[in-house]
Amino acid sequence: MKVKVRFFARFKELLGTDIVVDAATGIALNGLIRDIAAKNSEGYDEIFDENGTFKDFVILMRNGKRIDSTDAPQTKIEDGDEIAVFPPVAGG
Amino acid sequence: MVSKRERERYKRQMALFGEEGQERLKRAHIAIAGAGGLGSPVAIYLAVAGIGTLTIVDNDMVEVSNLNRQILHSDRDIGKRKTASAEGKLRDLNPDISVRVIDTTIDATNAASLIGSADGIVDALDNFPTRYVLNDVAIMKNVPLFHGAVRGFYGQASTIIPHTSACLRCIFPKAPPKETVPVIGVTAGFIGMVQATEVIKFLTNRGELLTNRLLIWDGMQARAEEIAIKRNPSCESCGDITTATRKK
Repeated sequence: MKVKVRFFARFKELLGTDIVVDAATGIALNGLIRDIAAKNSEGYDEIFDENGTFKDFVILMRNGKRIDSTDAPQTKIEDGDEIAVFPPVAGG
Repeated sequence: MVSKRERERYKRQMALFGEEGQERLKRAHIAIAGAGGLGSPVAIYLAVAGIGTLTIVDNDMVEVSNLNRQILHSDRDIGKRKTASAEGKLRDLNPDISVRVIDTTIDATNAASLIGSADGIVDALDNFPTRYVLNDVAIMKNVPLFHGAVRGFYGQASTIIPHTSACLRCIFPKAPPKETVPVIGVTAGFIGMVQATEVIKFLTNRGELLTNRLLIWDGMQARAEEIAIKRNPSCESCGDITTATRKK
């Protein structure tokens, strides 16, 4: 199934964006992002902690709807989903 | 009353919202938290638009490394307090408004009194912990918070109307790690203009505010996107029973 993943800001610099992947049926949100982020260790470390769970400030959206990062392991990806992953920017 | 001189000064914008709109701007008091990259363009444009009273809070001195983006300050201001520099520039730009400056660092103990009776708060800060303090004050006082933040060529903005729209903590429950962010003046200018536009729309009761939406600007791609956001009923700051509302 085809899924589109969009990274923003710092995540985008490290991992690119508008990534269309052929995801395995039944994959959960955290697994999907982990697989994509694994291609760049710096990008991976920006998003995930040492246990492979999302860092607590990471914002996840699925088809425009917010997903709490603690729910990501239970959030099954469906064909056509669009996932956005971004960090708050903090400068002023 | 808008004076004859003010009528001339604001003629081109009064064509947009009339004398009544200008009167609203004149009666308004806006607090700007920070006189740095975001605070500079916000303060300049709110001053020239004729916001009657601006309160600017900052505790830093002007450093040479500020000058790529903090356009309220000039080379000759290096070593001066940012508030003093800001006050002088804004008075030169528009002597018909009142500018109050406060040299202090905003924290949970002083934020409510610093904001005072302002009709709105502009978030021109550079860190999330203090942003959460302002968010709580905005909720407690029931005044809007105009959020903006930048990093490099990226920026984000949203307008928070307490008890109505998603608050800062609904959008960002956890602060990102502290870092010295790379930043270029044009990004702060772009996001600052979104914030200042929101302030003017709110005060003149015009247009559609950037509520329940997070605007994300990517300067490198020249692309602005928005993400729909919702209030979190169990939000630590604005949920049904919260610290901020209990302080009322």
